[in-house]
Amino acid sequence: MNIAVVVRQVPDLIEPLEIAPCGTAIDLDAASFILNESDDHALEQALLLKEAGGGTVTVVALDSGDVDNTLYTAAAKGADALIKISQQDHAPRSPRTAAARYAEAVKPLGADLVLVGVQAHDELDGALPPFLAAAMGLPYVGVIRGVRAATETGAVIVCKEFPGAVMAQVRVKLPAILGILGADQPPRYVPVSRIRAAMKSAQLSECEAAAPQREPLVSVVRLVPPAPAARAEMLSGSEAEVAARIADILSAKGLVK
Amino acid sequence: MDYARPIMWNVPHWAEITLYVMIPLVLAGFAAGLAWRVRKWFLGQAEPQVESVVQGLRAGVRPRRLASWVKTAMFQSRLSPDGFSLVMHLAIFWGMAVLALGTALATVDQDFTNLPLDFQVLRGNFYRLFELALDAFGIVLIIGLGMAAYRRYLVRPNRLQASKGNVSLWDGFPFLTVLLLIVISGFAAEGLRIAEGFSIEKEVAAAGNLEAKVRLVDRMGLRERFHIGPERQDVQLSRIARGGPVFPAAAWAPVGYALAEVFAALPIGAIRAGHQVVWWLHALLAFGLIVSIPFTKAFHLVSSPVNMLLRNPAPPGRLPVAIESGVRTVRDLTWSQLLQVDACTWCGKCQEVCPAHDSGFPLSPRDLVQAVAARLLRTPAKTNGDAASLHDSRIRPEELWSCYACGACENNCPVFVQHPRLIADLRRHLVDQGQVDEGLQDALMNFQRYGNSFGQSPRKRPDWAKPLDFKLKDARKEEVEYLWFVGDYASYDQRAQEVTRAIARVFHHLGVDVGVLFEKEQNAGNDVRRVGEEGLFSLLREKNSKELAAARFRKLLTTDPHTYNTLKNEYQFGARAGGETGAAAAAIPVLHYTELLDELLRQGGLRFKNPLGYAVTYHDPCYLGRFNGVYDPPRRVLRAMGVRIVELPRHGRNSFCCGAGGGRIWMKDTPNVETRPAETRIKEVLALPGVECLVIACPKDLVMFQDAVKTVGAEGRLRVADLGELVHEALAALLETPDEGGVPAIAAP
Repeated sequence: MNIAVVVRQVPDLIEPLEIAPCGTAIDLDAASFILNESDDHALEQALLLKEAGGGTVTVVALDSGDVDNTLYTAAAKGADALIKISQQDHAPRSPRTAAARYAEAVKPLGADLVLVGVQAHDELDGALPPFLAAAMGLPYVGVIRGVRAATETGAVIVCKEFPGAVMAQVRVKLPAILGILGADQPPRYVPVSRIRAAMKSAQLSECEAAAPQREPLVSVVRLVPPAPAARAEMLSGSEAEVAARIADILSAKGLVK
Repeated sequence: MDYARPIMWNVPHWAEITLYVMIPLVLAGFAAGLAWRVRKWFLGQAEPQVESVVQGLRAGVRPRRLASWVKTAMFQSRLSPDGFSLVMHLAIFWGMAVLALGTALATVDQDFTNLPLDFQVLRGNFYRLFELALDAFGIVLIIGLGMAAYRRYLVRPNRLQASKGNVSLWDGFPFLTVLLLIVISGFAAEGLRIAEGFSIEKEVAAAGNLEAKVRLVDRMGLRERFHIGPERQDVQLSRIARGGPVFPAAAWAPVGYALAEVFAALPIGAIRAGHQVVWWLHALLAFGLIVSIPFTKAFHLVSSPVNMLLRNPAPPGRLPVAIESGVRTVRDLTWSQLLQVDACTWCGKCQEVCPAHDSGFPLSPRDLVQAVAARLLRTPAKTNGDAASLHDSRIRPEELWSCYACGACENNCPVFVQHPRLIADLRRHLVDQGQVDEGLQDALMNFQRYGNSFGQSPRKRPDWAKPLDFKLKDARKEEVEYLWFVGDYASYDQRAQEVTRAIARVFHHLGVDVGVLFEKEQNAGNDVRRVGEEGLFSLLREKNSKELAAARFRKLLTTDPHTYNTLKNEYQFGARAGGETGAAAAAIPVLHYTELLDELLRQGGLRFKNPLGYAVTYHDPCYLGRFNGVYDPPRRVLRAMGVRIVELPRHGRNSFCCGAGGGRIWMKDTPNVETRPAETRIKEVLALPGVECLVIACPKDLVMFQDAVKTVGAEGRLRVADLGELVHEALAALLETPDEGGVPAIAAP
């Protein structure tokens, strides 16, 4: 089975996000980037499928953030080919643009299966995977927690999650696009020496994005930083005093009568 | 001087011939066995910094190393913490050694001087001494064997018992029994020989006058029984005919003499036949023992001293790494490591002091070494291609991940086996295969991304210093005397931060010129290396070395013993940053803050006016004490502050790990853990009379022990304080009032 995996760079939330001077976007110059978590799971799922049944794994990423490191790490984990899509006109301003650019790179691969994280923390509504499916003309199933090969060729069995943690096994005919929430196993650890070796040996092919920027259908009016939450009140005094104060607070909030 | 050692007394000619035929066969058998074992050591890789065995040998015979070898190998000095073991082992070793040397001397006496020259070395007073020494050391050997039997079969310590694999109380049984039978049969042969002498003397005495006696002696055929030249035979016969003793030195062999008095009651035929039987038994047992040495526990007679001679003399704090991707098969270990596993005597002293084993983790350093040794034994010396993986049911990942890399096992090993190194090697293979514990994986990913295990922004690293009312110098921008490499726990852990600030205030007050690297410092990598992520360690070392190379400073300073260890032993400052060979490492001194305070005390820069006056105990951090020998500076500083130090039963080089090392602090505890090492340690402290404060000198100790005080329910009874906090307290009157987030004023108990 030949699998393509789409991976995205997202801002790392350990650093506080800052709003750009325009007021409608995050200041990405001040951010540091990491691999989107569910994309990491998509990659892991692809590697598990390859290990179980053979095939190849091609990892495709738009050029942004720390993308080279992400791609070489994927190679160190066992990906066979790496594709970096460079963009003259900067990052896509809408998921439709991103989907079109990924589709350009993924289509020629003729992959049986395209895996992508079902959402990203800068895109919680998970717009990219369905747009990508539309751009490639392939069926799409999202919120997947595990994939295995079906007994017949040309299909996979996926574990799809529904609200209330209800799980369904779904047979998906290939080729198809799957939006991965979690792989069968947590993403593996790859030692630094293997990443460094991959940086020397793995081939990273670059292609130029041709799809033009398409303006988003919805636009941000204003971004607002979260208001600082009220500070905790530390109670002090004797046990009786503290207990009395707790009782006061609870009744003031109407929690006890 | 008319007597010498009787040669081949009562041994028939055919037996003598048989013996001479057997000797070369026995030696050839021993040599073949030895070659079979020794060739396996060469399955291994080159030892880092000891390129060949020849080089190792050359280093090993330098006077100081040789003196250490005589002490540790010939006199087993590393057993000294256990007096019983030391006496037992010295008794068996020297008993056996003197008897073996005696036999060798007898061979020289017989084959090299008597046969060709009709001259004996073993004669007169020297022979008397020889008889006395051999009898005495025979008794010494029996005492040693008795002690061994007492310990193995009556005391039955855990360390000598098997939890799995091939270690059992009965391992030494064949070897010890054969030794006992050899010495007993030796005494019996001696006793029977002397008893026959008594019988001859009695017969001669009864023969009447001298002429009758001479005739009797002739008739008895005594001349032929002395396997010496005719003139020397005449001397012997005339003495016996004149009523003298057949064996004039017999009384110098008190054990044989006493036995002879018992045997003398037997008929002469029985004595002579018995002597021949026992003589053969003695010879065959000895031959059997020699041939079996390479195949039994007795092989440590060869492998242990050889290992002690050829061991890598690198400092204990430097972890040698031969293969970065770790050890999968015995062939991935170095020759020195293969020699080590063969040198193992199965004594279990490593297991006895192992904090992981003590807490019920699935690790026994002894079993681990034995598992490798067993695999080596099964690996042919001519292995073409691949050997079987060591990672099987006898060496499981959970066992390898249980290690705290505290070095207690290695420190307690009588024969210099490096268990933590073996574990790190095996761990590196697991890491290479991506088989890591979940908690560990998070920590390693954090190191990769942020350079710290906390998953915190590198920009927050210097935040601990914000509450200080003075500015720390930036060593990247201005020259400082001491570059303070703060370390992860001291920087990011909230409790440790308070200590870090207290120490910063002390430095400030004392006018110590310190600077830090701020957000450019990353974890130094000590524990990353011991976890087995060598590539990540190299990366961290490269990044830190680059920053250090750009900064201007004279000495490195840290409060963290783990950081201290790797900076001191595994970093290289100078032209080739990143490596660890060469002498340049010595160019920049690395100091633990307790060493700096001690230095300031000596120079008069630090004085305490008001003694603290209470009793404390001090916990030696593994990486400060055992790995780097810093025991006295912290104690001198404590004494200067006027506190009374009550030592823990396990202190100094025998200190007991807090349970944070070897990456364990990032991993999850297995469910069946009994008492965690830190809890065991706190209980030890609570048992000390009058001690209300446990003083530590490591940020990880602070975290581990403060938690343990809570989990054992000793809150309010025991204070855990860093030495830096005590110094801060002792200087409190001189320091400005601590600001917000500073060291809270703690009343002396």
